[in-house]
Amino acid sequence: MGNGTPVTNAIRRLRFERGEMTQQALADACGVTRQTVIALEAGRYAPSLELAFRIAHALEVRIEEVFQWAGES
Amino acid sequence: MSLPRLGFIGLAVVAALATWLLLAGPARVFGIEAGNAGMVLLMAVGWGSLHAISRIPDGGIGESMSPGEWRAWLGLAFTLVIAAYAIVHAPVFHGPPLWHNPDANRIGRNIVMLLVAWMLLARVLDARWRRGVRQDERDREIEARGAGAARLALVVILVGYALLLSFSPTERLEWAVPPLLGHLLVLALIVSCAFEYLVVGLGYWRDRR
Repeated sequence: MGNGTPVTNAIRRLRFERGEMTQQALADACGVTRQTVIALEAGRYAPSLELAFRIAHALEVRIEEVFQWAGES
Repeated sequence: MSLPRLGFIGLAVVAALATWLLLAGPARVFGIEAGNAGMVLLMAVGWGSLHAISRIPDGGIGESMSPGEWRAWLGLAFTLVIAAYAIVHAPVFHGPPLWHNPDANRIGRNIVMLLVAWMLLARVLDARWRRGVRQDERDREIEARGAGAARLALVVILVGYALLLSFSPTERLEWAVPPLLGHLLVLALIVSCAFEYLVVGLGYWRDRR
């Protein structure tokens, strides 16, 4: 895990589309620290599959709407 | 100047005083053994720092730093002071066994008490962390990398000791009496702990850079 991962995400946009959900609210809903949400939104951390599903569930969307593969195919 | 800022400055001053007492201070202060006084002050600073950090409101400096990162940087500072204390007082271990060497006995007891106190304080105050989740998968990944680095550091140091003792001419190993060798082994553990805290702290720092 370094700076930048091949997995991009739309967490920030989806949070605001869900009534401006705060980072802390999302963190609490997913069982992670707020700093991990910050790292995810900044693209500095690629979550495990379980956490990715938790985030998608908290944002009430499908997982592929939150995360996209941006690396080489 | 806000009260929390004054509190942190106060802690820094007490930490500096404790470090001076441990490393370079006089033998006794107001009739109390300086090493003991420094140890108590350092423990108070460690507790005060962790307590103050756990109370920082959201929106402050605590917003971007995880509990694990605070613990790592504080732990690094604490273990570096203990390592410096162990190095500065290493010569007293060049003598008879500890039960016949009151100075070495006292230094060894202070080192062990500082290490145990730090571990207890970190655990107690970690449990009292105010803001919900204290650790998640990212923290565990960073800590696993730190533990791996610490294991590597310990292996390197121990292999260094083994090579030094195995290949040095006997006449150059007069310094290597059992109490000092024991002290060097404890120092290796302290250094590996400091290395672990450093790698964990850098891991968090890289994540939010």
